[in-house]
This record gives sequence, structure tokens and C-alpha cells, in this order.
Amino acid sequence: MIVKTLLAAIVAGLIAGVFMTAAQEMRVVPLILHAEKYEGEAPAADQPATQEPAAVGHDQHSSLIGASPLGAALSALSPVTPAYAHEHEGEHEEGGIMFGLSRFSGTLLANLVTGAGFSLLLAGVSLVIGYPITLANGALWGAFGWLAVHLLPAIGLPPELPGFPAAELGDRQVWWAATALLSAVGLYLLALRRELVAKVVGLALIAAPQIYGAPQPLDISSNVPAVLGAEFAVAALATTLAFWLVLGVISGFINDRFVNAH
Amino acid sequence: MATSTASSISLSLNDRLVAGISALLIGAFLVFGAGLANSAVLHDTAHDTRHSYGFPCH
Repeated sequence: MIVKTLLAAIVAGLIAGVFMTAAQEMRVVPLILHAEKYEGEAPAADQPATQEPAAVGHDQHSSLIGASPLGAALSALSPVTPAYAHEHEGEHEEGGIMFGLSRFSGTLLANLVTGAGFSLLLAGVSLVIGYPITLANGALWGAFGWLAVHLLPAIGLPPELPGFPAAELGDRQVWWAATALLSAVGLYLLALRRELVAKVVGLALIAAPQIYGAPQPLDISSNVPAVLGAEFAVAALATTLAFWLVLGVISGFINDRFVNAH
Repeated sequence: MATSTASSISLSLNDRLVAGISALLIGAFLVFGAGLANSAVLHDTAHDTRHSYGFPCH
């Protein structure tokens, strides 16, 4: 029975992952590809001698390019943009798309894994707090998942395009994960507990990471056009909302039909 | 959501918690791997997904 419950969540996540891939290819990936044309241009083109643009480029790819100032300078001078370099990372580090997949296949695979992951998290929360996901309430479950994992963290760290200035990666990841977790607990207290105290504590938990503040970059100059960034933020939030709604409804459908059927 | 009750879940409380915690652990592992893990291979494979989901990337 436990296995059946987990399988149901995984199946729902995989279906939502396929849906998400289609939505991304339509609305999000074209913007990422467009932004990559600007990524890494600033240091080489506009301000060749200054330190800061190089530092920006280095920050954005700290996980891929060596941490030394020399590495940053080299990457700034390189005619190959960092985005392009991603796909040839294997020559220098253990990078490159796994299993020799195409970029699209890699994205599909990642969406399937992410979909199954979020679906299991949603199912896990549902099981632990004892509120089943059904076809009737699936969309609400999805909407709350989106609020906790996407909208509330996006207040501090909006979805970013390649080439956007950003603070240190580790700091942002910690803030992001902590905010998603606190938001989820806060939303549960706010929406599902009857006590007034619980609702106040829930609001406080949701507000706390926002008041604390997300790590922000020191230098916000970027070569990527602002309009592109605005379009991308909306597209990313809209597609993830669609993903979570689909995920919630399919989870509810599968639960009603196959798991909790009597 | 608020109108549902735990009684309609067909698992016992103990099974429910075991299933729920397993789901949370596996789900967190998958999301971490696809979205946050600091590995060049994972990053490059999941690059467009990470940006689309708004995971902190780069």
C-alpha cells in the first residue's frame, strides 16, 4: 500500500514533468536562449580593463569556472560565451550533459526528475499532515505548492536568466530552500489550522525570510535587456503555476481512482 | 482542502507516516539533485530546467 501510494505520486510527477517540458519549450526556453547571447558579453565588449564586470561573470559561473581571479579574467577574455562553454565543459571539468543527451533531452530528464520530486514532496506533506489530495482539492494543493516553492521565494530571488547578476550561489540556495520550507509550514498553519495563534505564527513564518532578506548582488549591471528579464520572470512563474496545478489535479485524480478507491 | 479528513485515507496512521516521510525524503533528494546539487554534469543537464523553475543557478 505504501509502495502504491509512492508510485501514484511518481506517476503524477512524471506526467506533470512532461507537461512542464512542453510549456517550457514554448514560453521559457526561447527567452533563455535569447539571454545567453548577451551572457558574458559585458566584460569583453564594454569595459575590458575594469575589475567588476569580470567579477560579475565569475560570480555567475562560480560552479563551473575556477575561483581564481585569473580564471575570471580568462573567462572574460574568452570569445566563447559561458553559456556556450557549458556544453563543452567536459574538456575542462566533469561537466557536460549526462549520457551524451541533447540539450532538450537533458531538460526533459531534469523535468521528469523534478516533477517526480515535487510530486513526492506534495504527497509526503499530504500523508504526514493527514489531508488527502483528491480530484476536488488537487488544484488547491497545487496552488499552495506553487506559492511555497515558487512565488514566495521569488519575492526575494526572482527567476533569473543566464547572465543576470546574482549573489554567491551557496547563499542564495540556502535562502531559497529555507524560504520554501518556512513558507510551506507557514501556509499549512495559515490555511489548515483553526487556531488564531497558528494563523499568526504561520504569517510570521512566511514573512520572516522576506524580512531577513535574500542575498543580493553588489553590482546589478547586466548586459541582458531588462524587458527580457521581466518577460522571463513572468513566463517562469506562469509555467510553474501551470505545472503545479496540473500536478495537483493529476495527483488527486490518481489518488481517487487508483489509491483510495474502495 | 479543509473539508477533508484523515479518516478517508485508507492507510493506518503508522503506514501513513512511513509513506509520508519516505515520500518527503525521496522527493527532497530528487529535487535537490535536479535543482540544487553543485555538480557540473547535473547543472549542465538540468540547466534550462533550473532556470525555468527559478532555482538559484550559476
